[in-house]
Order: sequence, then C-alpha cells, then structure tokens
Amino acid sequence: MNGSFALLSRRSLFLAPLLALAVLARGSVDDAQSFALQAAEPYVKEGFQVREDYWGGDLGAAEKKAVRQQLFKGNEYWFWLGTEVERAKISVHIYDAEGKLAEEPDSWQKGHFAAAHIIPKATGSYFIIVAVEESPEERTHWALVYGFR
Amino acid sequence: MIQFRNIFRLNGVAAFGFSIVAVAAPVPQRIDVQKVSTTVQNVVVPRPDEVFGALNKLGGVNWKEYVRTDRGSNFTERPRIALLLGSVIADGFIAVQAEDTPAVKEIGQRVQSLAERINVKSSITQHAKAIIEGADKKRWDNVRKELDRTQNEVQKAMDELHDEKLSQLVSLGGWLRGTEVLTAVVNKNFKEEGAELLHQPDLLMHFQGQLQEMPEFKTQTPLIDQIHGALVEVKPLIGSTQKISPEAVRKINEITTRLDSAIVTKQ
Repeated sequence: MNGSFALLSRRSLFLAPLLALAVLARGSVDDAQSFALQAAEPYVKEGFQVREDYWGGDLGAAEKKAVRQQLFKGNEYWFWLGTEVERAKISVHIYDAEGKLAEEPDSWQKGHFAAAHIIPKATGSYFIIVAVEESPEERTHWALVYGFR
Repeated sequence: MIQFRNIFRLNGVAAFGFSIVAVAAPVPQRIDVQKVSTTVQNVVVPRPDEVFGALNKLGGVNWKEYVRTDRGSNFTERPRIALLLGSVIADGFIAVQAEDTPAVKEIGQRVQSLAERINVKSSITQHAKAIIEGADKKRWDNVRKELDRTQNEVQKAMDELHDEKLSQLVSLGGWLRGTEVLTAVVNKNFKEEGAELLHQPDLLMHFQGQLQEMPEFKTQTPLIDQIHGALVEVKPLIGSTQKISPEAVRKINEITTRLDSAIVTKQ
C-alpha cells in the first residue's frame, strides 16, 4: 500500500487532496480484491463460480467485521479474503445464525490471504467474520469474494 | 473494480501455489450473534442460479418449462425498466439452466435494449455479446459468468450515476423472478428440502429496508408500493424457524407470480 500511495502522491501533486484520498481508498480496496480473486483462482478450476459482487473496506489491527450472507443447503461455498498489505495477517471464519462455527476443517489462513469453506447444513443466513489480526499499517484494506458450486 | 478476467491475465499461467496451512490461532467455536449483528455489512443478493443449482441437486427439473422470452412491455419509467432488467437477467439464468440457445440469445439482446433505455448500455455491450457467443458455443458456465458481469456492470454504472436505488431495483426484480420459479418448481413436486431454500428472512428484510427508502418511486410507480406490501405478506411465510409448508410455497408462488407479471406487463 505504501508503494501505491507514493506513486499516487507523485501523480496527484496538483489534485485536490480530497480527490486524491478518494482515489486512493477506491484503488486500495480494488487491490485487495485482486488478491482475494488470486486466492480463488485454483478453485475455479474445480468448478467453483466466483461472484462478481464482493465486500470490502478497511480495518485496524485486531479489528473484525461481520458480513451476513444467505447460503443454500445443497451448495458448497468458499469465501476468499485478501489484502494488498503483504505483511498483514488476516483471517476469515463462518458461523451459523446461532453463532456456532460452521466451516469445514480445510479452511485456511496464509499471511495476507485466508479462505473459509462451508457446506451448509441448513438454508439461511450465516455470519462471515473477517479480521485483520496483525498489520504494519494503521488501516488495512480487505476484500472478500465468494464462490459456489 | 478490477475484473476477474483481468486478474487471470495479470497472473498469466503462474499458478498460485497455495499450500494448505493449519490455522495458527485457535478459532472461537461460538460468537455472540447479537453483538456481531450491530456491525454487519450489507448482504450480497444471491445469483438466481445459486438457488437453482441447489434445487437441481434435489432431482431433475425440466427447466425448459420455465424459460420465458417474451419481450415484455416498453416502459418509460426508469424504476420499471430497472425491475424488468433484473427479471430479464434472471430469465437468462433460467434459459441457461435449460441450455436453450435461442432463448439465451434473445435475452442477451433484450438486456442490451433495456440497458440502453436507462443509459447504461455502453457498460454492458461486451458482456451482452459474450452472452450471445457463449450461447452459440454452448459454454454455459461462461454465459452464467457473463450474466453475472452484466448485472454487476449495470449496477456499478447506476451507482456511478447516483442511481443506487435503481440498482437495488435490478436486484429485487431478479430475486422476485427467481423466487417465482423456485416456488413453481417446489410447488409442482413438493419436497421439504426444496421448500427450505425459501428460508431467506434476511434477504427479505434487506429488500424491505431498501423499499422503505424509496418514497419518491412509490409515488411515481405504484408497482413499487405493491411490491413493498407483498413482501410484508411473504415475510411470515418464510421467516420463521418452522418448516415451510406446501401451502406457504403455493402462497409465495401466487404473490411472486402476480408481482412478476406486473413487472413485465404494462398496467
């Protein structure tokens, strides 16, 4: 993110600071999305269809965010989380409507990528909890994409 | 937003070598749902084929019965065009389930024409072409992906034009058509597991909340108010923890059929 900021700052010398900040915020979430999609790539070959819609934002270290999503019994889902901050450590976990951990044991976490796998036992709403566990940045952009088959 | 297709290009053939790693920190087995609910982000409305796929796994569905290619009415009110566009895109997913090439191609053209009428055609032209090409080559997964991209691009263009409410109506139109077909299929051959796919209380609340914020559309387009009222009727039928009965499925089918018919027909 620092690199992008430096590049953007050089190019934006004559732009209003507010506009530059807006562009930066958009760009960074998009960057995070590209990493989330990178994590999804191997699964596409296994027949998962990745949605175009995604969630994104920024979090401080040790902060969490919840996403609520409708899932259907009979499908299988993966949620992939990514950030452009390479030294960040992020995680994603899935809970059912009662707050019980509902993900499969092959869910994983590796530095600035993480993924959670669920084969829903019931149709309904689930909570997907994204967290920035560690990060050298004050705010870390994140993006969450999902796929199903 | 960086498109998925571009990501593949960026990555080239360098396969991303993920090794599955054990989770370092212990994962809490439970969370306090009440606490979490206060900071929850917006839902992403499921694609119609998410539910159709789940339905298919319960037994063969004759999707051809549900294919619709009527051109529908030509509306001038933007909220009505947005609802219709969502419904037509959902029809595209149904035609893909049925692997009906002529229907998919016709729907691709219809989507372009509707997008033109709300000034977002340029954002979807390439996807509409890809839908038609994919149908010709019977690459159904590609067509599904392009239908998703089409809807996403239309909604993104609307958001950029500060037409977020129209964008929400596109999703609502698609959800209503998808639910109409889901209930029709389950109604025809009732299975509890099929009826369970209707258990979508948060989505219903999501749409109700959005419609609440559209008083100007309700005045301009009475259909929006009718849909809002109908969702209130649907909520108790699919929102409880009880199993969804055949009667409830039938009732939801009646409601969504009535609404979808109003979406495609000039009143």
